Amino acid sequence: MISDVSAWLVWLLPLVSSLFVPLIARFSEKARNYFAVLISLVTAILAFSLVPDVYFAAGETVTASASWIQSIGITAGVLLDPLSVLFTVLVAFFGLIITIYSLGYMKEEEGLTRYYFLLLLFIGSMIGLVVSDNFLQMFIFWEMVGLCSYALISFWYKRPESIRAGAKVFLMTRIGDVSLLGAIGLIYAYLGSFSFRYAVANIATIPDYTLTAIAFLVLGGAIAKSAQLPLHTWLYSAMEAPTSVSALLHAATMVKAGIYLIARLIFILGPLAVTIPFWLPSVAWVGVLTAFVGATLALYTPDIKGVLAYSTISQLGFMMTALGSVTGEAAASLGWFASLFHMMSHAFFEGLGFLLAGGIIHALGTRDMRLMGGLKKAMPITFGLSLIMILTTSGLPPFAAFFSKGLIITSLTEAGDILQIVLIYVTTALTFAYSLRFMKLIFIGKESEHLRKLHPHEAPKIMLYPAAILAVLCIAWGFVGPWLGSFMGVEGEVSLLGAFFSLETPIFFAILVPAGLIIYLTYYKQSEVMMRFRSGSNPLKTILKHGYFFDDVYERITGKGVITLSDGVRRANETVMGHVAKPAQGIVNFAGHLRSFEGFFSGRLPQAIANVMVRIARGVQKYLDVLADDLLRVIAHRTMHGAEQMKKVPSSSLQHYIAAALLGFILILLLIILTVGL
Amino acid sequence: MYSLLLVFILPALGVPFVYLAGKKSSRAAAFLVALIAIANMALLFTTVPEILNSPTHEYIEPYEWINILQSDFTLFVDGISVSLAIITTLLIVVAAIFSVNYMEGKKNLPVYYSLLTLLSLGLVGVFITSNLLLFYFCWELMLVPAYFIIGNWGYRDSYRAAFKFFIFTHAGAVFVLLGIGAIYMVTGTTNMFDAQAALVQNVPGVVPWILISLTAGFAVKMAVVPVHMWLPDAHSEAPSPMSALLSGVIISAGAYAILRLSLGAILPAVMDPSFGSFGMDFMHGLAVFGVLSAFFGSLIALVETDIKRIIAYSSIAHMGYVMFGLSLFPTSTVAGVITITAAITGTVLHLVNHAVSKGLLFLSAGAIMHQTEIRDIREMGGLAGKMPFTAVASFTSALSIAGTPPFACFISEFLIFVGAFEVIQNDGFFLWPTAFMLIATVISLAYSLRYLSYVFLGKAKPEGEKKIVDVPIYMKVAMGVLVVFVIVLGFWPTFFVDLINTVQFL
Repeated sequence: MISDVSAWLVWLLPLVSSLFVPLIARFSEKARNYFAVLISLVTAILAFSLVPDVYFAAGETVTASASWIQSIGITAGVLLDPLSVLFTVLVAFFGLIITIYSLGYMKEEEGLTRYYFLLLLFIGSMIGLVVSDNFLQMFIFWEMVGLCSYALISFWYKRPESIRAGAKVFLMTRIGDVSLLGAIGLIYAYLGSFSFRYAVANIATIPDYTLTAIAFLVLGGAIAKSAQLPLHTWLYSAMEAPTSVSALLHAATMVKAGIYLIARLIFILGPLAVTIPFWLPSVAWVGVLTAFVGATLALYTPDIKGVLAYSTISQLGFMMTALGSVTGEAAASLGWFASLFHMMSHAFFEGLGFLLAGGIIHALGTRDMRLMGGLKKAMPITFGLSLIMILTTSGLPPFAAFFSKGLIITSLTEAGDILQIVLIYVTTALTFAYSLRFMKLIFIGKESEHLRKLHPHEAPKIMLYPAAILAVLCIAWGFVGPWLGSFMGVEGEVSLLGAFFSLETPIFFAILVPAGLIIYLTYYKQSEVMMRFRSGSNPLKTILKHGYFFDDVYERITGKGVITLSDGVRRANETVMGHVAKPAQGIVNFAGHLRSFEGFFSGRLPQAIANVMVRIARGVQKYLDVLADDLLRVIAHRTMHGAEQMKKVPSSSLQHYIAAALLGFILILLLIILTVGL
Repeated sequence: MYSLLLVFILPALGVPFVYLAGKKSSRAAAFLVALIAIANMALLFTTVPEILNSPTHEYIEPYEWINILQSDFTLFVDGISVSLAIITTLLIVVAAIFSVNYMEGKKNLPVYYSLLTLLSLGLVGVFITSNLLLFYFCWELMLVPAYFIIGNWGYRDSYRAAFKFFIFTHAGAVFVLLGIGAIYMVTGTTNMFDAQAALVQNVPGVVPWILISLTAGFAVKMAVVPVHMWLPDAHSEAPSPMSALLSGVIISAGAYAILRLSLGAILPAVMDPSFGSFGMDFMHGLAVFGVLSAFFGSLIALVETDIKRIIAYSSIAHMGYVMFGLSLFPTSTVAGVITITAAITGTVLHLVNHAVSKGLLFLSAGAIMHQTEIRDIREMGGLAGKMPFTAVASFTSALSIAGTPPFACFISEFLIFVGAFEVIQNDGFFLWPTAFMLIATVISLAYSLRYLSYVFLGKAKPEGEKKIVDVPIYMKVAMGVLVVFVIVLGFWPTFFVDLINTVQFL
């Protein structure tokens, strides 16, 4: 019963409370900020309260539903199982962290009412997405998450870059939404229900080719939302958002929705997942390529948030890869678990990265890492926390990502293609490389010119505490693995010692060495050979600078193409309209010719007739006048008497008479209408 | 009892009173118009319980009328028509209240409000009758006041636009009359349900031509490509409350008529085996025109720069969605009846949702023009800071138009697509139109975002002599009402879906 209530409240509370933010802001701005914190705190508590319920339910799912659009069999409902509760806890926890962090980070901004309103809406929508028990409800929240991120990314609505970025995010993810919409439509057409539970029981009744179509359409949705190749470019543009929003968007909401979707689909498909031709390999390939491309770009970009953005893209690729390496047991297999395990680790280290980056950007007023350097002295705490973040990102023991990434590699080694395995190993090396570069450019070495001018100081406490909590989690999370395994229902697969002694670990360490060496030579030692290679122009540099030309192609083809097409359509439309107007013009011209006749018909002829009529009328009138005069004299005499008495009745303007007359007229009309029928 | 008769009589009798009230104060006239519409809405609501609970799910008031033609003054509503009639009255209320501030200082306002009342008579009348003659009477009745309102109180070259509107839709009406005449010739009745039964029992060879003639005539009013040409001019030159009505309800009336007459009454007869696959081809044709309209409207809206023309073209696009939804009308009967499908529920719901959303979008565009006296969106920018209320209204409506939850239009578009996938199972032809329509939703988001970015976001342009402030109170009230509806209908479409779902054709 209690879990029922909290299962509803955990998403309804932030959604409904968001509406109160503007109201409270009218009284006090401080109250508004603390209200937002309070709500996210309560949401987080509610989310954590769901954990024991699901844990002790031992594999049984808890559902509750309410009527919504009953006449077409659509209900609203919540579904609590390990998968949804894991995401709920993550989102609610991060919502709290970010709201607290915003107290410091967004302190001096304008339009904070809008900010907190959208923040709560964002958190509520994302939780709503993961606890929905049917596809329709999930899709509504799926879109609302997109809407909120659009509004938050273009939060600084006066900056052209923010507006462009917001629109780009919304449009690119909409492509995926359309794909997902298609999948949901197909599912409903074949099953007659949106419900997940119904789908789990009856998914086998859908014909094979349709199921294949559904699976790939869902993948399309996930690719756009989780910034996978080839629709990953929006995530880099989304850096125009306030850093607190970026942190939330990367760590917990929005991009994680795609991972949830695929995980949920695999859960629903069960053993069928392996039977769909080319599907799991496609998922894995998308993941591997994204991981690789993201890591290479993170190695190049000079933007501090850009590194983190590409790092997220790359890490999401890891999660996708793990999902693609699912075996026959589907939701009980190692890949499925590894993906979710890594999803959590990533949330902690990437969230930490963004919180720290926010502090650095605040202190330095720039996002360009080339202007930074030697920040270690000025911001020692940030440096220490960054070190933890970087070690976790690289996947070194004993930090969380070591365990989760290890599981992904193990799972892929069992199920994947040799080329995929090689690429994933290379990517882990690249991850190590861009992490080292990140540290060097920002913290190590001499203080830069820019830095000396500014005298930066450590971020305020309210921004450091949330970061510290995440840093602790980065260290602790890996050790939670076995427990998480039993929570998610994959007992026995995950052991801490096993991670150290598996075959993959030595390979992993071996491959880090050359990567570290190259970075050391390039950035720390600045060896001549490397510098010469970097200074010259080479195709690799061009490719990386243009982000593999994805955006260029999109702007050429989609952007310019659609506009050209639209212009063409508009011009064609105007031409056609012009032609249609021609016959009309012809009629007008014809009418013009008729005008010459008009002189006779409307001028002289009527005049002549009128003259005759007038003459006759005058004659008649003479006789009538005499008659009427006499008559009138008699009548007038009589009525004068009556009129004398009428004068006593107060009379006003003409309107009253007209109104009275109309009223009579209407009454008569009413009588006529009513007596005609009935 | 007399609910529907009163719905007819109230505005008819109201016209002179509105005029007289307007002589005293135009504000009083506006409120009288709103009051009449609210009364009508209440009257329409009284029929809802009977529609939901009676076994036939309809509400009929028969009166005698022209006996020589066997034509009765039959007033009739079912779930579909009452939904549309209710939303029509809502828009009239809102348009009247919006006009208080918007039309302030214009000439001849008593006449304007009287014409608005007359227009409401024709508009509501179309939805609440099952008699073809009365239907046609109301169909033409909405044309005349609309013509004068556009012409007299419109912008720029308004009489030209009004003339175009009149000529086009009147030409369409001729086809409608032709169809209705043919139905009367063949069946000897002017009641659409009797005619339908008669046509199915004894299928005459002329029936495909009736179908084509009626549909073509209604399509002009609905403004699907290629007979859309009157719409961009009329919608953009009309005063904004009138644009809201035109785009919200008048073109919806065209869609309703296609559903009720062409598909509901004539199509079952056309599906007779003697016509081969004509019926199916006809439906496929509708789908193609729907896709064409959706793409045509969306693409032009993407490059148009006039604030109201963008919205006008978006209306064409949305009538494309509706046309596509109509093309999914079930062509086969189950146990002698055509049960309503998700697609048709979605289509009618989309008419409702689109009316509210597009009405709001036109009103907020009118608010912007009223406050800034600019029409070109390139000259605007950063208005969100200066007109926050209008910005909220515009964002709500434009995002709804783009099909984004939690706003109204999403759920109806969703239902149309779900219905489309149901149809694809039996008729593979619809796969490509459905795919194209899905792509069109991306373009509709694109033009909505472009519109919002240009108008409300970015740096504010230097102001002229006049300082730009947010709209006065009555415009706020009018827009506020619709904002609430757009959001509530998005979360809770249950009332209308339940109503629409009671309908059975045949």
